[in-house]
Amino acid sequence: MIDVHESLGASIGVFAGVRTALDFGNPLEEHLETRRNVTVFDLSHMGRIVVRGTKAREFLNRLLAKDLEKSCDLRMFGPTAFLNERAGFVDDVMLYRLNENEYLIVCNAVNVSKVIDWLHKHKELFGFTDVVIEDLTERTAMIAIQGPRAAETMINLGLSTTTSLKPLEFVYDERSFVNLPNATLISRSGWTGEDGFEVIGSITNVKALFVKLVRDLRVRPAGLIARDSLRIEMGFCLYGNEIDEDTNPLEARYWVFDIDKQTEYVGRDALFKVLADGVEKIRLGLRLKKGVRFVPRKGYEIYIGNRRIGVVTSGTYSPILQRSIALAYIDSRHAVPGLEVEIDIRGRRYRAKLVDFPFVQPSSRPK
Amino acid sequence: MEYIIVLGKYKVAKDRLYTKTHEWIKILDNEAIVGITDYAQQKLKNIVGVELPEVGTVIERGARLGVVESIKSVEDVYAPVTIKVTDVNKKLEEEPDLINRDPYGDGWIVRGEVLNRDEVKELLSPEEYAKHVESEEHG
Repeated sequence: MIDVHESLGASIGVFAGVRTALDFGNPLEEHLETRRNVTVFDLSHMGRIVVRGTKAREFLNRLLAKDLEKSCDLRMFGPTAFLNERAGFVDDVMLYRLNENEYLIVCNAVNVSKVIDWLHKHKELFGFTDVVIEDLTERTAMIAIQGPRAAETMINLGLSTTTSLKPLEFVYDERSFVNLPNATLISRSGWTGEDGFEVIGSITNVKALFVKLVRDLRVRPAGLIARDSLRIEMGFCLYGNEIDEDTNPLEARYWVFDIDKQTEYVGRDALFKVLADGVEKIRLGLRLKKGVRFVPRKGYEIYIGNRRIGVVTSGTYSPILQRSIALAYIDSRHAVPGLEVEIDIRGRRYRAKLVDFPFVQPSSRPK
Repeated sequence: MEYIIVLGKYKVAKDRLYTKTHEWIKILDNEAIVGITDYAQQKLKNIVGVELPEVGTVIERGARLGVVESIKSVEDVYAPVTIKVTDVNKKLEEEPDLINRDPYGDGWIVRGEVLNRDEVKELLSPEEYAKHVESEEHG
């Protein structure tokens, strides 16, 4: 895909060891276009792993924090997570139930090899010898079509049947992912808050679709910078920023677990201890005053007077609100939405307010 | 304004001098205007904020003159020569993207008095700066 991006004038950067498009010239406009119209993102850097076998579900249910007994065919199940023994995040993932015995995991680019190792280690440990784990990341590509005009775009692509998909439903045109690279999977999903579709398939097919979208249908390509500012507006977590091995789902307010799940899974005991004990810090939003045109960045500290009460995990300038916003962890005794605080930006204090997310309401929702 | 076009996309104005850290300086008698180059603004992308110095302060060559904040990153702007600030571009507080739209014109950052003329000789000519951009892109 990278040759296509270069031909479109993208700024190429390395994310999680993968060369990908950071932007296509103007990340702010790519952001606005996603909220107002439609854009296409290349997400091929994300991990795609298939777990199959008659005991695949039983196996995954011993590792994921949501109860797979509640999953159904042709529906994405999640977001959910692999937790470690301390209830920290190994990774947050989307699980696609292709059929009873076949599951596709889409995980974060930074964690692909970690997740694969985690699966293999527990396959051994739990004795699920028949379960097959296959990494499709390098052999497949993935794009997302996002925005209020996403459904119209799918019709223009000749894929009108996909517009009857409900959120998180998906279709794929082969009985099994064994038959890749010919299978293409289309889901009604995304990570921008807007209506949208994600396509996973062979590199050839997905690339052709991307080129058709950009060249023939004049859909604006968008890069990872716009993807980041869009997800921050929605208050979504990014692995490495809001969540990591030392952060639990409760403090992240990331509902990746089923509280009524009876099956034992890795991290469950620790998670229940967290639920019983409560948390030290809570993830909240931070909204700066309109005139403050500085972007809060990871690590910037939040104060009330001389007391440090929190730290920023992600920040951006919201072109929708026309002000700077951030996600932050706040000491739980001060985690009160509405509270006026100060943020330290390069040694100077600026007033800000603790708020809940999402920061903006998306302009489109799938029907 | 006449430009050297580097690698088909970066403009280098011919009527001023440059630093390796991508500032430009236009010398007019004893006064000078400072800004950041077209290459710098293209690399930063959407500029959303600019921190300006106080009028009257003296900034040593190579010291921080201001800060330019974009969605992508935050970068210091350095004084190309030792300068006493006589004026700052207040318009940037409301419209920081003037730097994106017109880096060599309306997007200027400060005006000031050049305190040591000898330092001017050490700045890069437009041709030298163009070569520098080329080597950064290929490095």
